[in-house]
Amino acid sequence: MMAILLDGVVLGLQLAVLGVGISLVFGLSGVLDLAYGAKIVAAAVVGSELLAADVVPWMALATVVVVAAGLSLAVDRTVLAPVHRRVGEARVVLSLLVTLAVAFVLDGIVVSTRPLAALTLVVGGAPVEVLGVTMRRGSLLAAGVALAALVVAFVLLQGTRLGRAIRCVIQDVEGAQLCGIEPGRVRTVVVLLSGVLAGLVAITQGLAASVGTADGFDLTILAVVVAVVGGLGRVGGAAIAGVILGVVHALATATLGASGTWVVLLLAAVVTILVRPEGVVGPGGWRLWRHRAPGSAPSGEMVP
Amino acid sequence: MTGPSLARPEGLVRGYLPVVVAIALLAAVPLVVGDSRYLVSVATLMVVLVCYGIGFNVVFGGTGQLLLSIGALAAVAAYTSALLGGELGWPLAVTLPVGVLGAAAGGAALSWVSVRRRLDTIFFGVVTLTASLVVHNLLLGRRELTGGETGLLVEGGSGTALRDPVTGYYVLLGLLAVGLAGHRAIQRSALGWAFRAIRDDAEAAELAGVDVARTKVTAAALGSGLVGAAGALYAHVDGFISPTTFAFATVDVRVIVVVVLGGLGTLLGPLVGAVAVSVLDELLRPLGQLRLAAYGAILLALFLGLPRGVVPTWATAWWRLRPRTPRGAHPDPAPSEAPDRSA
Repeated sequence: MMAILLDGVVLGLQLAVLGVGISLVFGLSGVLDLAYGAKIVAAAVVGSELLAADVVPWMALATVVVVAAGLSLAVDRTVLAPVHRRVGEARVVLSLLVTLAVAFVLDGIVVSTRPLAALTLVVGGAPVEVLGVTMRRGSLLAAGVALAALVVAFVLLQGTRLGRAIRCVIQDVEGAQLCGIEPGRVRTVVVLLSGVLAGLVAITQGLAASVGTADGFDLTILAVVVAVVGGLGRVGGAAIAGVILGVVHALATATLGASGTWVVLLLAAVVTILVRPEGVVGPGGWRLWRHRAPGSAPSGEMVP
Repeated sequence: MTGPSLARPEGLVRGYLPVVVAIALLAAVPLVVGDSRYLVSVATLMVVLVCYGIGFNVVFGGTGQLLLSIGALAAVAAYTSALLGGELGWPLAVTLPVGVLGAAAGGAALSWVSVRRRLDTIFFGVVTLTASLVVHNLLLGRRELTGGETGLLVEGGSGTALRDPVTGYYVLLGLLAVGLAGHRAIQRSALGWAFRAIRDDAEAAELAGVDVARTKVTAAALGSGLVGAAGALYAHVDGFISPTTFAFATVDVRVIVVVVLGGLGTLLGPLVGAVAVSVLDELLRPLGQLRLAAYGAILLALFLGLPRGVVPTWATAWWRLRPRTPRGAHPDPAPSEAPDRSA
């Protein structure tokens, strides 16, 4: 039981990073990035190629993060530029379609050029005893990296001027501009941050298990599920939801098998949307995206 | 936002002429490719894709509900029909309608829940996407019933004329004729007006006396019913179904491409889109796995460069080229949000 719980937390921290990465961008711009998993896979494949070419491991891993961040920014600057020029529902729908197409392009290139590539990071050393459970060093390291990434992201958002600028733009673009904040720059920062988190997910997944070319779609779906359960656009909610869903995932895998686990996770997202669309974690924590909470507000009015 | 067909009084003949011409052209396909089983099966899949496309078009193009469960709804109908026939021995005449009703009820339920909870597009998309993945995983998981990923042999059509590829093609073409004519009938009816009103401004439509909730659920039920009919019929024609046949990546993605390429909300859009995609598929086959990337690139170009789709763009060009009528009955070409829904 303890083993399942710990496995769940290890997975959950990674899911939290995944959810925060996708939720952050949605919160800022209303773009739900369906290419998020494809970016992770693309970065992971670059990393596996570098490692196969005997590049120093830390350089290879740094490249993974840089590639993911660069990819994020490149996509945002090129194909998403027309999306950002739209407003409201039109932007949301077009962003779904465009990022889906980006996912195809990335997946198609990766699968056709490196069909068997997979990023697997082996950490040497004997397994470690944690709370009476023997854990692989790779899993522990993955959990550590994920936790560190979350802490850094939150300190950045909550404790710095830059973070305040980001939250300012989210609340009121025009007001932010009047205060001398440039929304375009803030978007660049957020997109880069989301890309860095994608690169870190590639690394932690490589440490805990492995990232193959076929994993892109599943990673995207997991990210969406975590973000939805945490309340779309609420970064704090996504982090907590990630850990919860990680434990749920571990419990379900032990009892229900692979497809049963998927059903449980997906139903968690559906039930969240239908019962509590603002996310399961409650009203605390700041909300990034002020969307109308369905059913809770008279149409046409924004929830404050 | 009125298209040309609404500005001009349109007779029954003119209204349904595109449907008749399209079906007549498609009916000639087996005469051209008749010898090749392979090409007939490609054509059959294309017709199925058009049916899915019309269903999606009625729901998304009609009322703006981003229904990402096309494959799942088709699977519900196909597996229901196949399992009722296989396990209980019910005849095709019973299992088909039951399957279709199941799909229609599923789509209507998704829509009803979303309308009740006032979900906006993104949430409706996520709910229907997750619902379709749930169906997919249930099909994979309930191995003893569905055969899991190995698939399921569908006995209902064996021994009947459905198994003849050309006959099967014509049966599905018949369904397509019903779908196209039905969509045209909707466009010409009060329901079609309600669709346009909702697409333009749901709140204004509600104030003008349109029952928005009911219209949305009706659209979802009709569209899903057509999708289900296509899925179930195809299962019996082909004789084999598996979760991959109806997977999100195989069905929904292609349906979105087809409908957006052809033109959202237009009558012939899904048909034009499906023909283009099917031809493209065959042309890109040598690319192997890179085909997916090529697809994505084409999609990107399309979404960003031709967001209204082929049919409305052509229609606009056509109306521009024609000598102007005094009443100025050509559609306003400027706003990309207002595609000509009559073409």
